[in-house]
Amino acid sequence: MSFITAYCHLNENSCSVNGKIFLQKSLESTESWFKQLYKELGVDYPKFYKMDSLAQAGFLASELIKKIIPAISDTYKDDQIALLFANKESSADTDIRFLESYEEKKTPSPSLFVYTLPNIVLGEIAIRNKWYGENMFAVLPKFAPDFFVQYGTILLSTGSKAVLAGWLGILEGRVEVFVFLVEKESSTGIPFDNENVKKYAGF
Amino acid sequence: MIYIGAEEIVSPLGQNTEENFRAISENRSGISLVALAGFGNESVHLSKINFVSEQNKFEFLLIDTLSKTISSIDSCIVSSKKTIVVISSTKGDLDRNISNPFEESIAALVKQFHLVHEPVVVSNACISGVLAINAANNFIKAGLYDHAIVLGCDLISDFVLYGFQSLFAVSQAPCTPFDANRSGVTLGEGCAAVVLSNTKEIFENTPLQFLSGTSANDANHISGPSRTGEGLYRSVKKTLEQNHLAAEEIDFISAHGTATVFNDEMESIAFDRMKMNAIPLNSLKGYFGHTLGAAGVVETAVSMQMMRSNILIKSMGYSESGTSKPLNVITENTFSELNTLLKTASGFGGCNASLVIRKL
Repeated sequence: MSFITAYCHLNENSCSVNGKIFLQKSLESTESWFKQLYKELGVDYPKFYKMDSLAQAGFLASELIKKIIPAISDTYKDDQIALLFANKESSADTDIRFLESYEEKKTPSPSLFVYTLPNIVLGEIAIRNKWYGENMFAVLPKFAPDFFVQYGTILLSTGSKAVLAGWLGILEGRVEVFVFLVEKESSTGIPFDNENVKKYAGF
Repeated sequence: MIYIGAEEIVSPLGQNTEENFRAISENRSGISLVALAGFGNESVHLSKINFVSEQNKFEFLLIDTLSKTISSIDSCIVSSKKTIVVISSTKGDLDRNISNPFEESIAALVKQFHLVHEPVVVSNACISGVLAINAANNFIKAGLYDHAIVLGCDLISDFVLYGFQSLFAVSQAPCTPFDANRSGVTLGEGCAAVVLSNTKEIFENTPLQFLSGTSANDANHISGPSRTGEGLYRSVKKTLEQNHLAAEEIDFISAHGTATVFNDEMESIAFDRMKMNAIPLNSLKGYFGHTLGAAGVVETAVSMQMMRSNILIKSMGYSESGTSKPLNVITENTFSELNTLLKTASGFGGCNASLVIRKL
């Protein structure tokens, strides 16, 4: 039996952790919503500013999960935390910008090109935390709780002790993010099954 | 036991496995100079499929390859509720719909073959193919499905070519993996398939045994290979340990070998750390180019053919050692009993994956 021990939601103007509002977008601020959130988190990680929206979303959500369960990196060995993410749009948000860089600006941008793969966010989270575990990014037609439960359970039965999983819907200003932590052995949380993933996701 | 077989390949070298394997056995490459193909009308070496129309090419290749694949397995399998299709691709058909590069092609595939379950698309940079095969094995092992068909496909697009050009990662000449004079990738396109199953009888030809595979991240850099080969080392080590295999039990390595200076160097360090320097090794990029998300499936399929024929195929483009750690790069086609294969892949995002296949 494994358990969902923390979760977080992020949309266009609000962010919540374990169902409680963490921050709402300030309309007075001149900074982007993700930058507001980064500052509120109080982490010092300048690489954040280089990331594309998909990577920023995954980074912010993973940092929020760590705020709830700070011991995560101490509890597990560096290769026991797997990353299992999915979305519908792949890296389209940055793909569109890279396309513009060579079609309109006539200069293909290498700094955009390196973000034109959806799994780059996994690399960013792995680098940030020095996690060497299993990685998987899947593109699915819609949010599918059974995919996360099936593959998450597989990862937990083949050596991983925890799975940071999530849906990262990012496209042209639309934000639909749900990230959750599953732990194999835990005294807290709710059972990791389709019903509970669906209930927590809320979409 | 999990079996793997029914390998199928469509590439510039041929429309089926037989044509492809004959071509590489004759050391023919699919790479040629394509005039004005690159950014700024630069002429670029590519391994491009010219016998298929550009219109909906991704969809066509998926359907064509799957049709050929299922002709060598039990005909009931493809539309069985005990079968999952796993697709590996980095960019799908982004020229058709950049915001949703898989939806239309996969809907057509589902319709054509009456697939019961929605296919899973594994999009994990250049390890997508190896990861998809590993996922297929995991799905069957977990008892979720009895059979899994893995289809790997990627196309050459302006998008991808201009991107690699912007990184100065494209070789002027056909790519030369692991060679001292290597200077970058040659892009390729292709589609390949393998079938995994818990039932030996579904295969027309004797399958091989799929042991298992793993992945590991470098946790180092999103676009630069690790200087210590950490992720690849960890993945290979984990895969061998899971299967209680010693390094010397591996008969050959189908390496990733993209022919960029840093990637091939990284691989040599990882294999050196595993004490695998003496194991015969090749990169197939000199034949097929780098087919990105398809590469892991193309190269696994070819390696299975090598095992069936007990022939080590030479690593095209290699003549002089160009890595700091010695590797036993195959320089001539050689007959050799091949029982156990290690296939590896590495990619952007710091990802690495490996798998092991053994002859029955």
